[in-house]
Amino acid sequence: MAPQALEGPLTRDEPTVAADAEAADTALAASGDGSAFERLYRTHVARIHSLVRRMLDADEADDLTQDIFVRAWQKLPTFRGESAFGTWLHRLAVNVVLARRKAVGVERGRYRSDEDALDGISGRRETPEMTVDFEEALSRLPDGARQVFVLHDVAGYRHEEIARMLGVVPGTSKSQLHHARMALRKHLER
Amino acid sequence: MKDQWTDRLSEYLDSELAGGDRTALEAHLATCGECRTTLAELRRVVARAKSLEDRPPRTDLWPGVAERIGAGKVVALPRRRLSFSVPQLIAASVALVLLSGAAVRLALEPPREPVDGGPRGGVQVVSWPGRTDAAIAELENALAQNESRLDTATVRVVKENLAVIDRAVAEARRALAVDPNNTYLNRHLAETMRRKVELLRRVNAIATAQS
Repeated sequence: MAPQALEGPLTRDEPTVAADAEAADTALAASGDGSAFERLYRTHVARIHSLVRRMLDADEADDLTQDIFVRAWQKLPTFRGESAFGTWLHRLAVNVVLARRKAVGVERGRYRSDEDALDGISGRRETPEMTVDFEEALSRLPDGARQVFVLHDVAGYRHEEIARMLGVVPGTSKSQLHHARMALRKHLER
Repeated sequence: MKDQWTDRLSEYLDSELAGGDRTALEAHLATCGECRTTLAELRRVVARAKSLEDRPPRTDLWPGVAERIGAGKVVALPRRRLSFSVPQLIAASVALVLLSGAAVRLALEPPREPVDGGPRGGVQVVSWPGRTDAAIAELENALAQNESRLDTATVRVVKENLAVIDRAVAEARRALAVDPNNTYLNRHLAETMRRKVELLRRVNAIATAQS
């Protein structure tokens, strides 16, 4: 038989193989392999950039995404493999974003629950032609509601975790989440 | 219009309402169309949030990251697409394993001086998560089922060379038992197992394509 060409997509068990490859790349990157770290970067950059873009202004997203990956490179030797690399990276990214928010003072009014401010982003319900993209509406939420909504409904953190991250009580996180949802329901595509 | 239950709808939706309140809210929902509508909308908001798609940045940020971490190689890596023959791939895999295996044997010898930690001296290496063994076992089972689709010469070469890789893995593990924090050894083990996974995966893909 002639040599067989090794081409074509994987045919089975791709998630397991991908997880294994990522574990290997994490080990290699932790020992200083830049190429392995680049593969990790390319796998996760969309998720991290989207997180940053949703929690901060879009014009900061590129710089902060780079900061997050640089920080990840520096901290990789402390990664113990107790969770998936992606989970660890996402949590690190949240911490960097929250620190950034604190540094620039955008947390002012963080716990504002003024529904008039939330209603200010409405538009679709009364005037369908003024449809605002859901992501755009999300970016216009008050800061506190925005970050809780992203962390809870988009990223999947629990209120107790969010409360610890933000230094508030879980009840505040729940309240902010509800206000965010109430505002955003006006921007659902119909 | 808001009533006393409107602000509890998110908690209800997230199953975070305690028993008594939950029962009372459900009784209210049975009679309040507006709250039912609001609840349905909130449910759609949650579903919409979960369906948001992640988008990569418009420009490639890797060169900036690479520069800051001193990765040296600032090259956009295209998705790998191999077009080697089976014997070529095996030869390449085994050559690399044997080459680095020599360094493992050196590492097994009593060190004349403390072993260098690699590019980041003193680095704490991550523990091997153990998922690789399971992945390899599964791929080997698949190969056992698929090997009838390959010609016997190819199967023989594959098996002989998988044995070589296995010996390299065993050597690396023995060395790591002596020096578990050795960066080079951890890296070598990860890379060797990665090559084995890659080889098994590709051979299985070929075999499957034959059917």
